[in-house]
Amino acid sequence: MSQVIQSTLYGLLKGCLYGLVAVGFSLVWGVMNVVNLAHGAFVLGGAYLAWELNSALGIDPFLGMVPAAVVLFALGYVIQRWIVNLVVNAPIFITLLLTFGLQLLAVNALILVFTANYRSIPTSYAGESITLPGDVRIPLGRLIAAALAVALTIGLVYLTRRTRTGLAILATGMDRGAARLMGIRAAHVYALTFGLAAALAGAAGAAVGAIGTFSPADAGRLTLFSFVAAVLGGLGNMYGALLGGLVLGLVESWGGQFLGGTLVNAVMFAVLVIVLAVRPQGIAGKAFYASRVEV
Amino acid sequence: MTQLDTAPTRAARPAVPAAPTRPFRMVLPWLGAVVALVGAFGLQTQLYTGQERTATTIAMFVALAAAWNLIGGYTGYACFGQVGFFGLGGYTTAALMTHAHMSFWLAMPAAALLTGVFAAVVGAPLLRLKGHYFAVATLGVAEGLREVVINAGPLTGGGAGITIPTVGTDAATPWLGNDGFYVLFVLIAFGTVMLAALIARSRAGYALRAIHQDEDAAASMGVNTTVAKTATFAVSAALTGAVGAAYAFQQVTIFPERLFDVDVTVLMVVMVVLGGAGTVLGPVLGAIAVAFVSEWLRQHFTNAHSFVLGAVIIVAVVLLPQGFTAYVRDAVKERRLSLLDNVRRYRL
Repeated sequence: MSQVIQSTLYGLLKGCLYGLVAVGFSLVWGVMNVVNLAHGAFVLGGAYLAWELNSALGIDPFLGMVPAAVVLFALGYVIQRWIVNLVVNAPIFITLLLTFGLQLLAVNALILVFTANYRSIPTSYAGESITLPGDVRIPLGRLIAAALAVALTIGLVYLTRRTRTGLAILATGMDRGAARLMGIRAAHVYALTFGLAAALAGAAGAAVGAIGTFSPADAGRLTLFSFVAAVLGGLGNMYGALLGGLVLGLVESWGGQFLGGTLVNAVMFAVLVIVLAVRPQGIAGKAFYASRVEV
Repeated sequence: MTQLDTAPTRAARPAVPAAPTRPFRMVLPWLGAVVALVGAFGLQTQLYTGQERTATTIAMFVALAAAWNLIGGYTGYACFGQVGFFGLGGYTTAALMTHAHMSFWLAMPAAALLTGVFAAVVGAPLLRLKGHYFAVATLGVAEGLREVVINAGPLTGGGAGITIPTVGTDAATPWLGNDGFYVLFVLIAFGTVMLAALIARSRAGYALRAIHQDEDAAASMGVNTTVAKTATFAVSAALTGAVGAAYAFQQVTIFPERLFDVDVTVLMVVMVVLGGAGTVLGPVLGAIAVAFVSEWLRQHFTNAHSFVLGAVIIVAVVLLPQGFTAYVRDAVKERRLSLLDNVRRYRL
């Protein structure tokens, strides 16, 4: 019994982090209809920045989230403003290919600079955990990461629902033409959105680095997880990615407990395909986004 | 009353002028095909072993790109799980040849058939999805297939791979050798491109293009979109499965990580989109160009070739978003070669 509780807890904690990884991806997809295949590379960019800050200046990786987010915001803004905006009206293959090119560029740059070795960011509390009755353990690092992930997601929802910039982002996502008629500068708003997503990816990367190992080869896997979480949760609802991340974390954790080998991944993709076939808008998403083909 | 009499009848329609027969234009594609085939075999006599292997790989990618073009280019459904069919075809062949000692020449059609049927079964529900959702769902199918193959150890060898017996009495079909595989892949590529050309010029080809442009309109014009999409998906998958079968036999030992590598799908998409989606010639040119550039970069930038390839893809996508063939066609028609017009086309 305590094993089940333990794996459920692990799944939930990991799911929150998956949610944070996916929330920026889901934002970009929902607002611009761009599937950003370079998202995993952004996450790793954040992880390597936090690693560099930790090894050079001894900054805690959770504090390192802030500079990582700032740097990636700037990077994301520039990429969207001067590269992705050039093809944002093109058919989906084009934007997919462009972001795939970005992913190749970013991942190989990371390999050239940091080598392909696995790394992790050491913290003083890495081995510590809170023990609950029934011999259930909660690792401290994962708890902090999960709490920050939820806090950042709530912060993003506040930003998009309550600030003028956020409302401009939502409006542009719903109807770009109408938003432009209201005086919104779509190119700037798109760049802000992409920058925001990259910043969240960077923050997620710092947290990923703090609780586990990472290498440039993980970029594809992280992008895929964002994909799955975004689709499971559904677009058009900022909490959707978090929900999808939680489902993903739970499926992974329970599957790892009860199934042998890597069959858990097969279960994950089976869940994804079934959800898509039965409810394309995701668990919490809006049908508007699922029926949309192009902007 | 008189109005009734003047009601239009079929006979009253202006006669459609008969399309001028242009024998040269009708013969040209066939002539090109024959020249390409003869050229490919002529080339074989001039190549070193290493070059021949590269040329074999290029022929393989021509076939893969032409197969993907059917569902991705003509029909407009971004299938990002095409490598799943490649791997399924390869593993079916390997399993049949290893465990059932079936001849390769029987195993390859069997693999293609199985892949096609699998695609039809999976495609029926998934082809209801549109845009990115279809892309993600097919990606999920491919990744799921890989995990199944890794975990079906007794049949597939699992993550350690499976080796097809190709020498001695154990071999169902002896290995074909570098020359033999060159011929095999060139013939597969030729057959795939010819089939794509036939489909493109038939009624089915018009139906697919109609679905691409507006699926609801196509349905209201009498196109059975579900059947058309599913059949195309199955044909595209079966062709990809056949290529996978030949690839597995060529490699002898195959691993799930290589046969279900997402990069293979992405390469297919890159080749088709840069060459020109929805054209016969586009995937061929795209496959040859991308494979050449990739190989050239590998030789000149040993460590950073993927880095440079990423930059090349970005520049190519921004400058030629509609693909090379469409660009050349428009440039010839309008007599404007400016690449800047291209950039303006999809810009925000």
